[in-house]
Amino acid sequence: MRIRKVAIVGAGTMGCSIAENIGEKGFQVFLVDRTDELLEEARSRIELSLNKRLEKWGITEAEKRITLGRIRLTTNLEDVATCELIIEAVQEDSDVKKKVLSDLDRICQPQAILASNTSTFSITELAEATGRPEKVIGLHFLSPVTRVKVVEIVRGLKTSEDTFEAVKGFVNSLDKTGVEVYDSPGFVTTRLIIPLLNQAMNALMEGVASASDIDSSMKLGFGLPRGPLEMADRMGLDTVLTSMEGLFRELGDFSFRPCPLLRKLVRGGHLGVKTGQGFFKYDAEGNLVEPNENVEYQGARG
Amino acid sequence: MKVFVLNCGSSSVKYQLFNMEDESVMAKGLVERIGSDDAILTHTPTGRDSVKRTASILDHTTAIGQVLEMLVHPEHGVIKDISEIRAVGHRVLHGGPTFTESVLINDEVKKAIRDCIPLGPLHNPANLMGILAAESNISGVPQVAVFDTAFHQTMPKHAFLYALPYVLYERHKVRRYGFHGTSHRYIARRTAELLGRPSEGLRIISCHLGNGASIAAVKDGKCIDTSMGLTPLEGLMMGTRSGDLDPAIIFYVMKHEKLSIEEMDSLLNKHSGLLGVSGISGDMREIEAGIESGDERAKVAFDMYIYRICKYIGAYSVALDGVDAIVFTAGIGENSPLLRQRVCDALGSLGVKIDAEKNDSKGKEIDITGEGSKVKVLVVPTNEELVIARDTMEIVSGLNNG
Repeated sequence: MRIRKVAIVGAGTMGCSIAENIGEKGFQVFLVDRTDELLEEARSRIELSLNKRLEKWGITEAEKRITLGRIRLTTNLEDVATCELIIEAVQEDSDVKKKVLSDLDRICQPQAILASNTSTFSITELAEATGRPEKVIGLHFLSPVTRVKVVEIVRGLKTSEDTFEAVKGFVNSLDKTGVEVYDSPGFVTTRLIIPLLNQAMNALMEGVASASDIDSSMKLGFGLPRGPLEMADRMGLDTVLTSMEGLFRELGDFSFRPCPLLRKLVRGGHLGVKTGQGFFKYDAEGNLVEPNENVEYQGARG
Repeated sequence: MKVFVLNCGSSSVKYQLFNMEDESVMAKGLVERIGSDDAILTHTPTGRDSVKRTASILDHTTAIGQVLEMLVHPEHGVIKDISEIRAVGHRVLHGGPTFTESVLINDEVKKAIRDCIPLGPLHNPANLMGILAAESNISGVPQVAVFDTAFHQTMPKHAFLYALPYVLYERHKVRRYGFHGTSHRYIARRTAELLGRPSEGLRIISCHLGNGASIAAVKDGKCIDTSMGLTPLEGLMMGTRSGDLDPAIIFYVMKHEKLSIEEMDSLLNKHSGLLGVSGISGDMREIEAGIESGDERAKVAFDMYIYRICKYIGAYSVALDGVDAIVFTAGIGENSPLLRQRVCDALGSLGVKIDAEKNDSKGKEIDITGEGSKVKVLVVPTNEELVIARDTMEIVSGLNNG
């Protein structure tokens, strides 16, 4: 089956970013959320992202308009009935995800593939909420979707070969590399990046080095585009904490035990870029301004 | 003999049907937005009204199928039966170092076009899709590929190599290929005809100034140098492409603006040239309008555009050891008297003079040489489709006779 029409359910940061990327690659996109207000927010979020890329010469005015024109916003889940691929990107809550998948199972044509953008839940388990577990698959996009060139394609226990191949072909047509991963908490990307973020926070808390120096060390030392603390700020510290707790629970490995400093920041409402501060402070456009003195390290000298 | 000429893009198909007995166009048209439920087919039978149709056209095979239906349509058609089409000619962007002329398409040729995809990542896959789609619609009809790069394959090595480590040429085929070859070839041949001289001994500078722009130096009917390079980005300033620049600018800008490779690529190809400098448009007509209303940046963009054309003409007149004819073609070259005037005014040292009255002409084939000019100056509307049709007919007739 050739995938041409794609729906994304859940117009949050991730859903919008996925919609923008798929739309610009020439697919027709339906972006679904519960209320008109949420969709209005989604539209301005996508426009803002396209405007930023336009400012950086990454796209043209015409390309921006074409991409926006391909994305249809709707509050009616029934509108996705004709899509060949539906990606759920609702909040990371397994009951909510199961409910959405089961609704989609009822609405969509029998050959449609249902994908979940979960980074932590078991695809095998989510698939059981539908009557078509062989057509359920994980499709874990990383943020920012338009820049990151890898997608984890997650096989559940019952995912069929046809489903996998169709999705793999779709990922290729987005000019991304699809890596095949099996159903396991955190898959590859989340499982490997979380301990790094956690250790960076521990190092800061213990006064090993300043936030800026920790990030510089890792950026320059290992060629990372951003240091781990800025990376955590950009992912959202609440999201990072939730993932970390989930992995700690599932895998029992102490490298996933959340750093107390992370908890403190989340409790204090400092969630990173989206609230203007986390380990660093950010301006309204999300540019890093300076280290956050509230979490300034004490220094090994004490 | 009826020849069907196709130019397939990733989501579009342009076509013309030729009657080669008198080289007339029987119908032409365009399918846009292939891959969507509201693709648009615009069909124009010569001398009659255009027809527009919106339909779900999901791939090139369906697109070409619909075009063929149009061609035999009882009301809008121009032929009775598809079997009247005896050959199909395809425009193919990149033939790499393999193709020096047009060829009959077989499995080997298809593979070679596929091998050239890294060199023409945007166009070659679409061209190939078009070939397969035409094949599945009218199987058994011979198909010919006409390459945009082929005419330039006569360039000598010292002209096509870059001064880079030689291994990059060996390993990745990094060299100048040049584009608009089909157009430059048409211009070279037509110019010889218009001047009533054989190609041998004739030194022509062909200026293809459209949305993309390139100049070719043609001696004895063969290309000896051209301004576009490995990709169409090099050479003249264009509508939205930068043309020549110091390659170090790329690293400098990427570093200071924190750009990715894709963003830098888009900056150079889509945000530069006339558009980038003027801030108004990549369309020369709007730049000229801007100059009239006193816009400073439109003026400087225009001046740069002219200056760079003149630099290339100067360089190529040396490479050719003199020049007999300078020819303007494509959208801007055919339609901007102001541009031609300004370019030729700057070429006094070559003995170029044009006739201002004759130059006041748009879209017509005309000799605009001024009195006492040492160099002929012509405007020749290009016709790439006709070249494709001619090549196709020639190759296919050869088959039938052989």
